[in-house]
Amino acid sequence: MPRRLTALCLAGLVLAASACSGSSGGDDGTIELRFGWWGNNDRAAATQKVIDAFEAKNPGITVKGTYTDFNSYFDRLATEVAGGRAPDVITLGGAYPREYGDRGALLDLSKVALKTDKIGAAALGNGMFDGVQYGVPTGVNAISVVVNESVFDKAGVELPDQDTWTWDDFKRIARDLAAKLPDGSFALADPTRTDMLDAFSRQRGEALYTADGKVGISEQTLVEWWTMTLELRDARATPPASQTAELITQPAPEQSLMGRGLAAMQFDWSNQLTALRKASGQPLKLIRLPGETPTPGMWLQASQIYSINAKSEHPAEAAELVDFLVNSVDAGKIILADRGIPANSEVREGIQSVLTDDEKAQAAFIDELTPKAGPPLVIGPTGSTDTPKILDRVNAEVLFDRQTPAEAAADFVKQVATAIKQ
Amino acid sequence: MSKRLERADRIGYLFLTPWFIGMAAFTVGPILASLYLSFTEYTLLKPPEWLGLDNYREMLADPRLHKSLAVTFVYVFVSVPVQLVLALALALVLNRGVRGLSFYRSVYYLPSLLAGSVSIAILWRQIFGKDGLVNQLLEPFGVEGVSWVAHPDFALGTLVVLNAWTFGAPMVIFLAGLRQIPATYYEAAQVDGAGTVSRFFHITLPLLTPIIFFNLVLQMIGAFQSFTQAFVISGGQGGPSDSTLLYTLYLYQRGFGSFDMGYASAMAWVLLAVIAALTGLNFLFAKRWVFYGS
Repeated sequence: MPRRLTALCLAGLVLAASACSGSSGGDDGTIELRFGWWGNNDRAAATQKVIDAFEAKNPGITVKGTYTDFNSYFDRLATEVAGGRAPDVITLGGAYPREYGDRGALLDLSKVALKTDKIGAAALGNGMFDGVQYGVPTGVNAISVVVNESVFDKAGVELPDQDTWTWDDFKRIARDLAAKLPDGSFALADPTRTDMLDAFSRQRGEALYTADGKVGISEQTLVEWWTMTLELRDARATPPASQTAELITQPAPEQSLMGRGLAAMQFDWSNQLTALRKASGQPLKLIRLPGETPTPGMWLQASQIYSINAKSEHPAEAAELVDFLVNSVDAGKIILADRGIPANSEVREGIQSVLTDDEKAQAAFIDELTPKAGPPLVIGPTGSTDTPKILDRVNAEVLFDRQTPAEAAADFVKQVATAIKQ
Repeated sequence: MSKRLERADRIGYLFLTPWFIGMAAFTVGPILASLYLSFTEYTLLKPPEWLGLDNYREMLADPRLHKSLAVTFVYVFVSVPVQLVLALALALVLNRGVRGLSFYRSVYYLPSLLAGSVSIAILWRQIFGKDGLVNQLLEPFGVEGVSWVAHPDFALGTLVVLNAWTFGAPMVIFLAGLRQIPATYYEAAQVDGAGTVSRFFHITLPLLTPIIFFNLVLQMIGAFQSFTQAFVISGGQGGPSDSTLLYTLYLYQRGFGSFDMGYASAMAWVLLAVIAALTGLNFLFAKRWVFYGS
């Protein structure tokens, strides 16, 4: 009796154990890839179409897409990577490819056959760290000012001349707008974000990070920045502090002031134009940042980066998917400019005929910027992915008048230095 | 005889084996692993490196940790008493023989089931947001509301209210406790001329102290571990200005946001120590005020 019981228990255990160790291959020999990205529902719908097209071309491979909004994407990814359950193809951006690459989570792309010869060198460089290509860019992007002309018209304020406007012009325009716009509408949402500190400091000959991985922005520059944003807040050109704090927790374009038609300007990435136009239902425009002369602070950047999980069971097939996503005109015709103006020159040409006005505006913006942009951005060192959160916290201290700009500047530099273990 | 028992025991333990294995693999194992990790630098992706007491030393000098402890203490020591008073008050009302008691009991219990959920936290954000219900109610009175969930002076308050709203679970336990107080005590008191208030303070409250104590211990431990509401309402940041940075939220941020799993593990053990110490104090003081009958 006991022996039979033991056998029974063992059998149960074996069953339970084998149920846990499910592999990512189907019984019929198909390979299942997982592909993770962030974005809204429109992007999800487009991405699903691309996946369908890929599956149609590659029988035997199925792709399962998973997505969340931007704020939760990286928390979720960290959990999945730690648990060994990260997607095969991972979307990253900014300093994340280095963050994950340095820690051995990403595949060295030279180990798989992946063509990158048609992709612009500058954007490709955003996926290369210490000589290793960890990712390929989805497209090219730039930080810009999204402008709602109808709000300008309603307030009777003239649009700035993007070739010459300075930060003083910007402040004056914002104040003019604030004086003339109805309650609830603003000149712009609070502009503080790391990308803007990048641009603002580069215009002053600095940068958020130095090439050797240290904090590059001076406290003086930060004080200037926050002195300006406080002026904007006090002029009611930007929302009250608590509304700004609330907006920070809502990253979707549809929830932003610009997306709701409640702002005249918004500092944002150029590839957000389509989503913002759709959300607001208004013909928005892209213009270059204030203060770009004499020293330009703007730069061209890979909007997103596709990487392959170092632990993927099917790296070759994952590379095929990435290849399709970035190098195929068919895929480009579906994604259009949603992940930036395609970095692959063939794709960029191939999709011209199907671009809508929104995407053409983006492409024109990038083309115009290209000769005027500053040098490539120094991407932050490992640990710098904490910087946006540090900035949000310190910015709240400033906007709620709990720290002076000077105190906040010192605090910010200190906290970032700690995060990047300088 | 004894041999038969032994055999029965053996079979019993055999049947328990899967659960023992489960407990070892999924509870005791991870707990011990986290103790080890708390002495290491562990970035999730590379093997842990031994640091000794460095993580614990860092905690002494970490301003955000101190802030998160302060926020958590305020949260626990305000929301738990409010919640228990509410629970007791409603239990007293329901105990007076309301018609349809089971209906009301369910209705008031409902928030306890729902409040831990993400959807309620999202609802809360809507209610207390800039354009939320609260501000719409205030508008006719000429009050221009702020975003309550996003103002450093009020955000924690909205969390306290949310936690207090989950008074259903302690209320049901209070109700059960009230039912156990013999009616004869009240009759005797009434004969002696005791009024409602004096009956409450001299009979109900003393006889209910073991239940109050039970609820207090349970709710305090639960409140220290609150996470979901603060996470959802602050968009995972504990903001603004770290005003809703509950301890567990900071622990999560360090572990999964900054890849400091070693530090997060150390934080988890400190939380365990804090909860254990406070529960110990609770039991110590309980001798002074909890009345278990003579």
